[in-house]
Parts: sequence; C-alpha cells; structure tokens
Amino acid sequence: MQENLVIERPYWNPYVAGVVLGLVLLGSFLVMGWGLGSSSVLMRLGIGTAHVLAPAEIEKNAYFGQYVGPGKNVLDDWLVFEVLGVFLGGAVAAYSAGRLKVGVDKGDGITRMKRIGMAVLGGVLMGFAARLARGCTSGQALTGGAVLSLGSWIFMMCVFAGGYMLAPFLRKQWR
Amino acid sequence: MPFYANDAFTHATGLFLGTLIGFGFGFILERAGFGRARNLVAQFFLNDMRVLKVMFSAIVTALLGLTVLGGFGVVDLAKVTVPETFIGPHIVGGLLLGAGFIISGYCPGTGVVAAASGNLDGLFSLVGVIVGSMIFGFAYDPLEKFYLSGAMGSITLHQFFGIPMSVVTIGVVVMAVGAFIGAEKVEEIVNGKAGTPLPDGSVAIRNKVFAGFGVAGLLGLALLPLAKPTAVAAVRAPGQIEPLELARLLFASPGDLYILDLRKPGGKGTIPGAQALPADDPAAAFVAELPPTRRLVVFGSGSQAPELPPGVARFPGEVLVLKGGYEAFEQSVLTAPAAPENPAPALVAEFRLKNAYYSHFSGAAAAPAPVSAPRPVPAPVRAASKKGGGC
Amino acid sequence: MTREFIETVTTRSNPHIDPSLHIWGWEITVYLFLGGLVAGILILVSLLQLKSGEIPRSRAIRHMPLVGLGLLSLGMGALFLDLEHKAFVWRFYLAIKAGSPMSWGSWILLVIYPAGLLLWGLSMAANERAWILREVPDRLFQPLQKLFEFIEEKRRPILIGNIVSGVALGIYTGLLLGTMSARLQWNTAVLGPLFLASGISTGAAFLLLFRPDEEERATLIRWDLWAIGFEGLFIVLMLLGFATSGEPGQFAAHNLLGGPYTAAFWSLVVVMGLVVPVLMELLEMRRHLPVTLLVPVFILAGGLALRAILLLAGQESNFRLLP
Repeated sequence: MQENLVIERPYWNPYVAGVVLGLVLLGSFLVMGWGLGSSSVLMRLGIGTAHVLAPAEIEKNAYFGQYVGPGKNVLDDWLVFEVLGVFLGGAVAAYSAGRLKVGVDKGDGITRMKRIGMAVLGGVLMGFAARLARGCTSGQALTGGAVLSLGSWIFMMCVFAGGYMLAPFLRKQWR
Repeated sequence: MPFYANDAFTHATGLFLGTLIGFGFGFILERAGFGRARNLVAQFFLNDMRVLKVMFSAIVTALLGLTVLGGFGVVDLAKVTVPETFIGPHIVGGLLLGAGFIISGYCPGTGVVAAASGNLDGLFSLVGVIVGSMIFGFAYDPLEKFYLSGAMGSITLHQFFGIPMSVVTIGVVVMAVGAFIGAEKVEEIVNGKAGTPLPDGSVAIRNKVFAGFGVAGLLGLALLPLAKPTAVAAVRAPGQIEPLELARLLFASPGDLYILDLRKPGGKGTIPGAQALPADDPAAAFVAELPPTRRLVVFGSGSQAPELPPGVARFPGEVLVLKGGYEAFEQSVLTAPAAPENPAPALVAEFRLKNAYYSHFSGAAAAPAPVSAPRPVPAPVRAASKKGGGC
Repeated sequence: MTREFIETVTTRSNPHIDPSLHIWGWEITVYLFLGGLVAGILILVSLLQLKSGEIPRSRAIRHMPLVGLGLLSLGMGALFLDLEHKAFVWRFYLAIKAGSPMSWGSWILLVIYPAGLLLWGLSMAANERAWILREVPDRLFQPLQKLFEFIEEKRRPILIGNIVSGVALGIYTGLLLGTMSARLQWNTAVLGPLFLASGISTGAAFLLLFRPDEEERATLIRWDLWAIGFEGLFIVLMLLGFATSGEPGQFAAHNLLGGPYTAAFWSLVVVMGLVVPVLMELLEMRRHLPVTLLVPVFILAGGLALRAILLLAGQESNFRLLP
C-alpha cells in the first residue's frame, strides 16, 4: 500500500511546542483578551441541536436558557470560530506530517469497540465536569493558568490528581 | 491592548480572528503530539511527560509575556479576562475531568485535534463531552447551589496572596523548571525499569528554552518598580446601567441583582427590591461579604453619581451605577409612557415595552396599545444592523 | 382599508419582501449549490476527455454525467418545493423573455439533460455499452446502436457543447441573483463568474470524492487549484467593486468586511473552502502525501456556505436600509 510508505514527521520538541503555543496564547490575550476554550463550544453545539428538536424545553431550562432565546444565537461566540480553526489547523498539521488517517488510537489490551466506548464514557464525565468547573483543560487550566487565576490553578492540580488516582486501574487499557 | 477592548475591530471581525488564532492552536497541538491518546495518557503512566512539558512551557511563556508587557504598560492587564473562582466546583470538576481524561484519552480540546487527524476515538470523546454537558444542564436545578458555592470572584494568585504579580510569575517559572527537571528524572527511572526507550528531546534545546525563561523572568522582576497597581483599581471602577436596562433585568431575572438605595433616608418611592443603605451607614460593610454571584446595582438621587460606601467599593463582583439616579428610573419606568404620535413599528414596539414595564412595576393596568397602521413605515433598522452586538 | 390591504399583499410592501426578503430559504441554497456542482461535473468530465482524447479511466468518472443529472434533479426538486404554484411549472416554457433569468434558466436546464445524457453515452467504455445493448428491449437495440455510432462520430462537438452548456448553467446560478440589483449584496456582475468558478471547484471536489485514477486525480487537482484561484480573484473583485462604488456598495461591502456576515464568510468560505484546500492540495502534490477525503469535504462545505451566506445577506440588504 502506498499509505505505508509515508514517513511520519517527528513531533516537535515538547518545550519548543510549549513556547510556540504560549506565544499564540499570548497573541490571543493581546488581541482578544482571552485564550483558548473548547468544552463550552461542544456544549453550544449540543444546545443548538437540542434547541432545534425541542425549543420550548431548552429555553425554559435554567442553565440552557442563558444561551438560547429570542435575539440570541447559540453559535454567535468567539470560541465557536476558534474551535473551527483548531479543527482546520489540526487537520493541516496532521496531513502535512503524514499522520492524517482514519483509525482508532488504542493500547494493545483493548478492542476497538471497547476503546470507543471508553472514549464516550470519559467524554461524558469530562463534559459534565467542564460545565461544573466552567471550563476544561483549555479554558481553565491553560488560559486561566496563564493569567494566574486562583481557581484555574486549583482546577489544574485537581485534573492531574484525578488522572493519577485513576491511572493504576486503567494500566491494562493503555498497554 | 488588548485590541478588542479598544474597539479596534467589530464583533464579527473578532470572530474571524478567532478562526485564525484557533488554526494556530490546532496546528501546534497536533505537532506537539496531542492528536493521539497514547501520547497524552503517557503523562499519567510517567513514561512520557509531554503533557506537563508542553502545558507548563506554554503557561510560563504566556505568563512571562503578560508580565513583561504589563510591566512596560503595553497591555492593560485589567482588560484581560480572569476566570472567576468557585472553590468547590473547581476541585470536584477538576478531579472528575482528570478521571474522564484518562478514561477517554483526551481532553475536550485535544479531542478536536484528534478528530481532525482522523482518530475516531477522539471524535467519540467529543460526542461524549456534548452528552455530558447536556446532562449537566438538565440536572442543573439540584446542582445550582453547589455550582455557585465557594464564589470568590475574579481573583488571581497575586491578589489572593497580596504580593506583586512579577513575584508570583518568578515563582511559577521556578516551579515549572523544577517540575521539568523532576519529570525528566521520573521518565529516566520509569523507562529504565521497564526497559523502554526515553522520549526524544534534545538537552541543548531544553537548556536554551530554560535560559529564555530566566531572562524574561529577570526582565519582569526588573520592571517591578514600574508596575502600576492598575489591575485592582480598574476592576473597581463601576459601570453604568440605563434605567430601561435595569427594568429589563429586574423583569427577566430579579434574582441576578442586588439593588442598593444610597439616597438619604426619607426619599419618596423606591425601585422594587432595593435595600435602603444610606452612604454613611456603618452597616454598609456587609456588602463586601456578599457573594459576587449577582451584580450589584446602586443608585442615588439625580444625575450626580452617588458616593460609593467602602463596602460597595470592596464588593468582589460587578458594580453598576444607575444612570440618572432614582429620578431617571421613575421618569422612564414608573411613569405611564405616552403613546407615540407616529405609529412606526419601532416606536410602537418601544411604547409597548415601556408600557409593560410600567404596568409590571407600578401595578397599574396597561394602557391600551395604539392601533398600528396596516402599512408599516420603514423602521430605522440600520443602526441596529451595523453593530453586531457586544463581545 | 380594503384597498390598503390589497396593496399590502400585492405590491412589495408586504412582510415577505420588506423590510427584508423572506422568500428564499434552504431550497434555493441547495438548488444553486447543486446547479453549480453539476455544471462543474459536466465541464470537467468533458475537458478530461478533450485533453486525453479517450474515455475516462476511472469508472466513477465515466458514469458521473448520469450522477450529475440525478443531483441536478434533486436540486430542481428543491426548487420545485419552493415554487408557490407548482402546477404551473410548464408556463416557464411559454414565456420566452430575453431579459428574464428565470426564462433563461428553464431553457438551459432543458438543454442540460440531453447534453448530459449524450456525454454519459460518450464516456462509457465499450463493454459498458455492450452491456446496455444486451439488456435493452429488442426494439430499442437498433436505434441505440445507431445513437452510439452517431455520438462517436460527433465526439468533439458533443464535448464542446457540454462545456458550453455547463458554463451557461454555472453562470446562470450566479446571474439569477445578480440581476436583482435592488438587493445590495447581489448588485454585482461578478456573481456569475464567481459561482461558475466555485461550481467548477466543487465539481472537481465531488469527482475527487470517488478516488479517481492517479493521473486523472492529478489533472483534477491542478484544475481545481486554477478554479480556486479564479474564485479568490472574483471574490476580491466583488469586494473591490462594492467598496469603490456608492453608498449601496459600501453597505454590501461592510456586510462582509466587519459587518454581520464577516466571520461566517471569511472563516467558512475563504479559510475552510479556499485557503486550507489549496494548502493541502499543494502539500499533496509536493510531498506525494496519501489521498485524503478531507479536502473535497472542505471544498464542498465552503461552496455551500458561499451560496447560503450570499443568499441570506442579499435578502437582508435593500435600499431601504440606507439612510
């Protein structure tokens, strides 16, 4: 197969990648006063879909009601366009590095279907957690961390703590 | 700077800039290796601490940039958004998100990158995130109390500890570099035991990055005497609110506001829901203790802005002063509006709105709406369509 | 009162037209998109054969004219849904008015179907023709065989005829809007060529979705790059034209340069639909990267967004909005 002939480009040195990422983050602060975010965009997509299916139900919900209603467009948000950009940028980067191909990234100790199931399960947990904490690793940890927000640093430490606490039980899945 | 705060571009243009900035983020995250779950979870199995290195280098870089540029006065740090702190939700949310991270292999942002590079597990983790956020919304009512608990407002580490920002910055840099060196040691031990190869990485490049951090950190410290304590003062400057906007908020969600009447005792009439608190009342200190989950609206008498009691000035949330004082509110909300002579749709709509507020707040029966002409007169739409709303 | 009421309904002073047009919804967007796409397919399949002098090597491309006609029928189905008086469709063919884009459109559509069918016959491989001849009822055998011989003789004129009718269809999808100068956003002659270029690009993307043979793929990508280049040029011309004209043009330019449609237009149409595909196609050619379906998907989504945005912005903008 031709596809196997493509040589993947190596990843960037993590410190260099971090510095470049930090420079883009700094640029974003300088231009927009805010950095990165993605969980809220996914929530907006969910609300938008649900709003099409059951407008009344969603509008009277105390939490969703702040995003939909007369005169409000749930997708009219800076982060929505930013995440569109993240998708495009990720696609170009993966393609030019020879890494763009459809597949499932998993350890040897797990089947594809189980891996997908775990991805959904973990996603549900993260979606819930991100709403509770008003942001995820992008919006709270990275962005809030860079402006020294107290809550963001507490959140970041707890993310690492949560991951490390569960890691011993999931070793098999990832090996 | 930041540019958006100075109206350098419109709301819609800002959205497009979001696409470009996001493109940069997506590109770098992929090149850092964050499009694949195994690179990410390796952090938690200690054999490749890529996540820690990239994330903390990014935080340190942006933080140093903000500190130095803020020190030079290029950036008004008060206009950079600081996420609000809610202790309980942040702790629980963080732990849950960490658990979700290692189960799914991605966080929401890296899931987007993974989906863009063709990884179906990334795509499905995004589906999960959508479902999870919807579950939160539907379960919001019983969760609300916890969701709003431990509120501390937009507070930074340096405000919390009461020390200058550049000192905290230096602390973060030192801690990060320490964490990097520690991480590399751990990688050596873990991979040595398992007989797996160390992750790639040139020591020379790493040292250059560290040196860069050091120079920028020293520059930030050197600028310390220059740094003005603008951040706190600027946050405190209260905004203004129009009487009609206040009426709208009171009508739609009275639970989102505290309203304080700062007039001298004995004034006639008041705004529904307002608490009387003369400016010289020593009890005013309690305002500073209120959780900043609501906005605080204060009003005095007449168009002169009232003197804010110290408690109000220390209120951690947003403070708004009613424009024109109580008289303006009485004039535009508590007085029956006059029907417009020219029944243009916009004027009729405005009249109806004012009438609704009037009857709601005064308890009077609404005046009958004027009969609108069957043939609409062109409305002055342009002003509305020109500006795409606030950011 | 009655007279006023009648006037409100029959003239433009009715809520479907003023203050903004609410006549055209997703049906027209889909119709314009599929129309352009099919125009692109017919042009590209004909050009491929003119260039190589033989039938297309990829089976998917050989049958693409038929697929294209199917898509066009879908688009016309959407258009039909949009018509108020569905029973009177045939009247379009009684009114021959040189000044009416609707009239032009209905005649172009009438030409496209036979032209596309002939192109399909022409693109078929010998064994595919033989299969059809075997399967048809006996009384159709003779005329069909004659027909195949005939089109083989007229190969060049048919290919050129298809290119001409494809270009006409592509331009018409833009002119349909471009003739309505009362709508500020459509008050430009560039819409015709712009929609044609976009149609060719989306047509190429659609062909690329079916993983054609490597050589044809390379040709299609080269032509797609040209089409995207021209599309970008026409967008610049459109914006320049708006920005340098009077107040109505300024208004239309503002809609896309700072106004309400800025973000959607530049993010979805320009970045996702033009810049990123060009980048990825150039990378593919330079570095011989494996084929990805993401590029055609981006192009198709961008083409759909272009029509949706111009349709929405156009219906919202009229002279009454000017001070």
